[in-house]
Amino acid sequence: MEWLRQVRWWYIPAGLLGGAVALFWILVLAGQITWFSEQPPLQVIADMDDQFRVDPQEPSRFFADRRSFRIPPEGTVPRDGRSYPFSQAELAQAEATFNKPPFPSSEYVLAFGRNRYEIFCSPCHGADGKGNGPVVQRGFVPPPDLTRPQARAYSDARIFHVISAGQNIMPSYASKLTEAERWAVVYYVRQLQQQGSSKQEQVASAVLSPEQHQ
Amino acid sequence: MFTPSLDRRIKRTALGITGTLLAAALVTYFGMHNRVTDVGYRPQQPVPFSHKLHVGELGIKCLYCHAGVERSAHSPIPTVSTCMGCHLVIKAESPRLALVREAYETGKPLEWRRVHKLPDYVHFNHARHIRAGIDCASCHGPVERMGVVSQVSPLSMGWCLDCHRNPERHIIPAREISGIFTATATSSVVQLAESRPVTNPPYGLWQTPVPAQAIPGVPTPKLPGRGPESCSACHY
Repeated sequence: MEWLRQVRWWYIPAGLLGGAVALFWILVLAGQITWFSEQPPLQVIADMDDQFRVDPQEPSRFFADRRSFRIPPEGTVPRDGRSYPFSQAELAQAEATFNKPPFPSSEYVLAFGRNRYEIFCSPCHGADGKGNGPVVQRGFVPPPDLTRPQARAYSDARIFHVISAGQNIMPSYASKLTEAERWAVVYYVRQLQQQGSSKQEQVASAVLSPEQHQ
Repeated sequence: MFTPSLDRRIKRTALGITGTLLAAALVTYFGMHNRVTDVGYRPQQPVPFSHKLHVGELGIKCLYCHAGVERSAHSPIPTVSTCMGCHLVIKAESPRLALVREAYETGKPLEWRRVHKLPDYVHFNHARHIRAGIDCASCHGPVERMGVVSQVSPLSMGWCLDCHRNPERHIIPAREISGIFTATATSSVVQLAESRPVTNPPYGLWQTPVPAQAIPGVPTPKLPGRGPESCSACHY
């Protein structure tokens, strides 16, 4: 019991503190505590992590304007398909060219159209198409009701044209949605117009089971 | 052999050197791992964009801005015209958006800082993982709750393989907020497609059936299966 007499009162808090500090570092090293940092990750051995090439959207070390995505020359056509050729005003030409959807509607197409609609359209137009999405509630210009009688009278091609070229303040979605996706949205907008408020249940039942599409 | 005091000093020195080396080895071994060096990387972006506001509160889905991730290996950072689609009207005068407006008007690119970066000798394909209905959050964490995006996964090879071997333990199935098209009702239980080895003896190369396209031009979702483990699946 001789050693006990040498124990000072502050040994206990000092031991606890030391233990806590050690535990903290052990947890950091074990990856259990996230250490946030604005500095780029420490790299001890660079290997070939950063090769002399540009990743997509990485700043270019070669061009003076630092763009690695070069602006294509005038009149360039994308490899995998057509770019949308018409401006907002060229409705008549658009209706003549894109007069008919390239595939028929089906449950699968409607489920897909709903998915695309809820990503790209519902922020403004709302899930029900009435033009009261979350962005509008934040102060955006309310878009017209998609289910109003005038819009029901639009041709499929006209809805396709509005999605592709934009209308008034609505930007073009041709770069975000492929042609097939835009047609799927057209089908879904048609369904919204027909069904009004009862659409939620109807589409939920139209979603396929995994066996059906394999 | 030596005097008692020198003997004690030698012993102490040896103990000190061994301890220091051991501690250094432990810190190097554990501390140099990606989960320590890379996780938590949270760079300050030139424009203080908040995923928490746009995704968490407004409910704008991941794919609205990162459109193209379903078709491309790279998940694109949106163009400034995507931002300006709304911000022409909303907060049009905000000083925080000055750089976005400048980029929009002059065409000078806005240089966001990259958070998630794999080494250049690894080829990760976003489209392939999205098509299997694997949610963004499986790797990127709950971005909809982040004011400033930080890296939550180590993105190390071991971490990739953990999931390729046992997907059902790690995958978060596609959630509503990401906007990934699954064609199936979103469930919390991961349903795995049957996978079979394509090499004999099976050298870690597995294959799950890929469904045919239902809509021309649009890939049909597939169920996640075991990921390939062969070297050339990612390092080619």
